[in-house]
Amino acid sequence: MDAKTLSGHGWRRRTAIITAGMLSLAGLTACGTGDSGDSGDAAAGGASADGPVEVDFWGWVPGLEGLVDTWNADNPDIQVSFHRMTGDDGQKVEAAVDAGTGPDLVQLSTHNLPDYVIQGRVQDITEYVTEHEDNYTEASWASVSFDGKVYGVPQGIGPSGMMYRTDILEQHGIAVPTTWDEYLEAARALHAADPEVYIANMSPGEIGQWVQEVQQAEGSWFGIDGDAWTVGVNDEASKQVAERWQTLLDEGLVTTELMWTPEYWARVNAGDIATISYAAWFPVALAENAADTSGRWRVAPMPTNEGSDNQGDSGGAAVVVLDGAQDPAAAAEFASWLNGSDDTQDTLITEGGLFPSTKNGLASPALRQEQEFYGGQVINEVFIESAEHTPSTWTEGPNWGTAQTAVLDEFAKVVGGSQTFTEALDNAQAATVADLEARGLTVKD
Amino acid sequence: MVAQAPSAVVPRRRVIGGGGRWVPYAFVTPFVLVFLTFMLAPIVIAVVNGLYSSQSSGLGFGGAETVFVGLRNYARAFADTDFLFSFVRVALYGVVQVPVMMVIAAVLALLFDSALVKARRFFQFAVFLPYAVPGVIAALLWSFFYQPSVSPLVQGLQAIGVDADLLAPGTVLWSVANVSIWSNAGINMIILFSALQSLPRDTFEAARLDGAGELRIALSLKLPMIAPAVMLTTLSTVIGTLQLFNEPQVLQFITPNISSDWTPNMAIYAVSTLGRDAHLGSAMAVILGLVTLVVSLVLVRFTNSSARGGAR
Repeated sequence: MDAKTLSGHGWRRRTAIITAGMLSLAGLTACGTGDSGDSGDAAAGGASADGPVEVDFWGWVPGLEGLVDTWNADNPDIQVSFHRMTGDDGQKVEAAVDAGTGPDLVQLSTHNLPDYVIQGRVQDITEYVTEHEDNYTEASWASVSFDGKVYGVPQGIGPSGMMYRTDILEQHGIAVPTTWDEYLEAARALHAADPEVYIANMSPGEIGQWVQEVQQAEGSWFGIDGDAWTVGVNDEASKQVAERWQTLLDEGLVTTELMWTPEYWARVNAGDIATISYAAWFPVALAENAADTSGRWRVAPMPTNEGSDNQGDSGGAAVVVLDGAQDPAAAAEFASWLNGSDDTQDTLITEGGLFPSTKNGLASPALRQEQEFYGGQVINEVFIESAEHTPSTWTEGPNWGTAQTAVLDEFAKVVGGSQTFTEALDNAQAATVADLEARGLTVKD
Repeated sequence: MVAQAPSAVVPRRRVIGGGGRWVPYAFVTPFVLVFLTFMLAPIVIAVVNGLYSSQSSGLGFGGAETVFVGLRNYARAFADTDFLFSFVRVALYGVVQVPVMMVIAAVLALLFDSALVKARRFFQFAVFLPYAVPGVIAALLWSFFYQPSVSPLVQGLQAIGVDADLLAPGTVLWSVANVSIWSNAGINMIILFSALQSLPRDTFEAARLDGAGELRIALSLKLPMIAPAVMLTTLSTVIGTLQLFNEPQVLQFITPNISSDWTPNMAIYAVSTLGRDAHLGSAMAVILGLVTLVVSLVLVRFTNSSARGGAR
């Protein structure tokens, strides 16, 4: 569950991964912690001259509790209190910030960051964090920088890879596809050999899988052209991805379950789905939810487009200092330590399941451990390679939430059979542009 | 005696009243305060919010300001065909769900009220129990019955040769309705049953002596006599239909065939949280409120006229 939330985006579907009972629990906890805005007040008021500075931090990465304890033991002057985010906490943050009762620090999908910047919900922390810039990958630092100012400390990215059932491919004598053309051939051969088996699941609820392929094809939902935004939900790259999945869908070569549902995991466990292309944090979730298939999976690079060795990235996260934080310097200091210190990298990687956006994290031996579930493969070698081949063409935009909702709603109609992926993208494009214009932002065609 | 009456009454009133004119106001103050804070203020805030919009310029990194835009949010809401269709969807849902629910509740109430049912208390409890399950949990429970791989229901149907997809575009509306009927039939049954229990028994005794059977008594006597309770439960069910949210919001996690703007309430939620536009969301909420008000007024009016018709 937590591994999934690492990517941070798609809160709506995010909750779905939680098995049913846990969803209710999450709902209850979310309600219960609704009052913890009080602790935000306390923290805000805590920055007095005589006592220690108190920093209220909300996040979702597993293992953060232990790291916060370590920090608190070593830093009596800056005491951090941690709240684990569940359910719709991501949305609650905004209301809390606007009401002046938000936490000081929060973990945020970088997809959502531009909107936070525009709405003034995050603080410019350039002066506190610039010294650490060298320790972060260029792409991740760019994802928290807007207009020459830095608004967060990167915490993990989501480079793509393809998890595949080596036993199923071998059984039918199918080579691991390395290009999308080979992938389509493999899909046909596989389904012909065994009608119960599909090459992939096309989840109409999982935006990250779509985004990583759009990015691989060097597309971007948003762009900046002078003083105007451009919107590319239906750009050439996206249409290329659309055609690929339209073919797979039309020929009946993919299942269309919503990811993270019991139904989805039942099919994964039953061996109905031969490959899953997703981010570096996904293997942990797969191992948790398909324990019975241990040893049968391997990880290969996501298939590539003809004439390119590009990989994709479904999005990263950052820890940001929210508007209303009384002591941004202290908050930023903790965030820099949490995400960048040599002392935290191993925990974030092994317990948190994070794929690091830091250079010391990428160099950590913890990243290169053999994974029993994947037949003893050092799977992160694939993802490290992938991160190096991710094009830097993707730009985050100001209404990610609207665009994502529009795309997913339209995709649902595609798998329902009432329109094509290309039509879906055109509709979502129109909705996204209309929303930006309604906000008074300038949009260029 | 007529002359004396005032002098007899006035002193007594003084003794009891004791405190003067403010007393009645003091008694209603708590209600008025709560009403203003939790009923009127949110409505006023929503109406006001709906007239504003958060506006930026250029790329937007210069920040956003809240400006008055008049009815523009309403124009946007009415231009949103998916939002408008969500009303059609809940109307279709209501046309089926409300009668089915009311028939089930009425039949059960009449059965429990008659002497036909053994172990009445147990069955009443069993029918009522789902109401005690929170709506979200109920939807979660049923979500397991709807997913083929984990559902004994779907697998059972398959075993007897019925290939049921309870989450298909054409069936999911009724799967949602089923959850809500399961949850709420019990409380409606209890309300109708209480109404039945308070009816004078001698009327039925007389009918029996005249040769009326139990069925005839139920349909021709009992049902018309509890018409106000039937109307009350119908009204609250209709309003619940317009505000449909919990069940589809939960089932959305297991099927793509429930879009983010599937019901008016879900559309409002999607716009104000996922879409981050609380102003547009407020305008849409005001529209939903007005529609609910109109539907309720029409229903109440219909009820009153039919009640008068009954009295005639």
